[in-house]
Amino acid sequence: MRMVSTKYAARSVGRNFRRTILSIVGIAIGCVLALFMESLNKGRGELFARAGSASGMGHVRIVPADWRGRREPRLRLADWRADFAAAQALPGVASVTARVRAQVLLAVGTHVVPVELAGVQPDVEPRTFRYVRTLQRGRYLRAGETGTLVAGRAIADRLTADLDDEIVATTVGPGGEIQSALFRLVGIVSTGSDDTDLAVCQVVLEDLQRLSGFPGAGEVSIVLNDYREIDRARARLVQSVAHGDDVMTLSELAPEIEGHLEQDAAMTRFVSGIILLIVLLGVASAQLAAVLERRREFAVLAALGMSGPRMVWLIVQEALMLGGGGALLAVAAGLPLVWKLAHTGLDFSRYVGGTYAFQGVLFDPVIYGDFGWWIVPYISAVAMGATILASLYPAWYAARTDPAVALRVAQ
Amino acid sequence: MTQTSDPIVRARGVTKAFVTGRQEVWALRGVDLEVGAGEFLALVGPSGSGKTTLLNLIGALDVPTAGELLVLGRPIASLSKHERAHLRLQSLGFVFQAYNLVPVLTARENVEFVLELQGADIDRRARAQEVLAELGLADLADRRINELSGGQQQRVAVARAVAARPAIVLADEPTANLDGENAETLMHLMRDLRDRHGMTFIFSTHDPRVVAHAVRIVTLVDGRIARDDLTGGEPPHTILPAVAARTVGV
Repeated sequence: MRMVSTKYAARSVGRNFRRTILSIVGIAIGCVLALFMESLNKGRGELFARAGSASGMGHVRIVPADWRGRREPRLRLADWRADFAAAQALPGVASVTARVRAQVLLAVGTHVVPVELAGVQPDVEPRTFRYVRTLQRGRYLRAGETGTLVAGRAIADRLTADLDDEIVATTVGPGGEIQSALFRLVGIVSTGSDDTDLAVCQVVLEDLQRLSGFPGAGEVSIVLNDYREIDRARARLVQSVAHGDDVMTLSELAPEIEGHLEQDAAMTRFVSGIILLIVLLGVASAQLAAVLERRREFAVLAALGMSGPRMVWLIVQEALMLGGGGALLAVAAGLPLVWKLAHTGLDFSRYVGGTYAFQGVLFDPVIYGDFGWWIVPYISAVAMGATILASLYPAWYAARTDPAVALRVAQ
Repeated sequence: MTQTSDPIVRARGVTKAFVTGRQEVWALRGVDLEVGAGEFLALVGPSGSGKTTLLNLIGALDVPTAGELLVLGRPIASLSKHERAHLRLQSLGFVFQAYNLVPVLTARENVEFVLELQGADIDRRARAQEVLAELGLADLADRRINELSGGQQQRVAVARAVAARPAIVLADEPTANLDGENAETLMHLMRDLRDRHGMTFIFSTHDPRVVAHAVRIVTLVDGRIARDDLTGGEPPHTILPAVAARTVGV
């Protein structure tokens, strides 16, 4: 049986049609703006995962035991082949690649450039490191070849090296001895950012193992089909990697980027909060006006014995109805908007150019919003939460109506 | 002062003062009163004599400034706001001068609302319909309040007040906004309800035609009881369904 108090709340909402419509529209506008910001925030998270993983970090990386604290390129995995197999066995894996790294000096004639040289598996590396997929000049490394090198344009420029030039790479071996090898430049990579180009310098895995004198691999990077599976993948890998090896996520690998994005997200949420606060105050004001108009009615209800909490619930019910209306309108208006944002994205290329680099990671200038089922509960929670909050003061005001005073004033 | 054998309202030296600005206004000055169960009592007196204040105190809407007031054995002054609300809900019914019905509800819903608030474990809709029928409003149960005449609205207000079968019904100038015929009808209905269900009716009025229906008349002047008279028997009145069958004030 439907409660009379619910009917009362529903019909009270309809008493002042214009005020109700304005309140609903206000709630809907606030919700849509908050939704837009949240979609963009989630999109930024996706952009970070996409750009970060494609910059060679992968979504998840298996690293040697002490690497998390020391970040020392000479450290090696306990059993990289076992780790590689464990990574490949992971469900939802798009690609897996092993690497070694070493600090080397590259020299052509009198020109010397210090770089972090990566030894890679040429057949799988481009799947996890998008910068080497398209080269400005030359070709990429080939599996099984030896003595070839691919470098970023900034490195080649500083070395004044061109394709097929020979480059001497010098590093310090395990016993402190100086070791050198000769490589032929077969490809030049241009990312559009000098900083990023300086981080691109690769040879075949076995070549760097020989040069450094350290066998094995220093990392196994994994790119997942779905970045939202990162934590689950990490949890599974921790169980299956070689004893002593560690598993790190993208956020742990690039905490500065993650922090930057969190800062951005916090700022947009702060702006959303201010927008919602303004909406909330508007709704509170409208509800308070409604309560003041019905002061005598509340006095009568109090005189009849309606308790304070029950009166609060009555007003909250009215707020929930307004919130429900606002949520429906927000879903109707917000879904197409966020769908558009998710498919066309927001293009910032006018402000940042074709791509922009941050901490060695290239980001697209187009940020896509996130579109999914989360939108409906999100809007419902925001609309209901905001209107319930907005109704608390008017409800409290109504609940403390003194029936004797209010009726005396009314007469 | 009239003594009753079984008082459900007992006032001893009840005083009520209101502070308006810097001025203190004494609305009641040492009222002593006992009201027995089933009485049909009229509070009369000029404007400002304290009738409404006394009704508000008996109705647990307000608390006395001094003195002792027991309603159904409960000391009003020492009850919390919540306890007074509970007492009103469970044991008291109110009829206001301006009807004060909820305009967005129908006649039946107005009656049902009180039963719902009370949490009455009965078929509330059926009870509301029954009470409205008792007051000759069965056919108007589904009408919104603004579709009813003043007389009909006041009968709905009486129905709302008595639906939960309270021990005491308090009516503040219930006929003030009604014409003579509707006022007469209302008084007959109230008398009839008292006769059938044994409720106590205490009402304030200026209207001599209404006073004529009272069994006991308490006259207030300047916040004091000036007279307390029994009328010497139950005045005759037409009982339902004869009254209810009449269409009044449509």
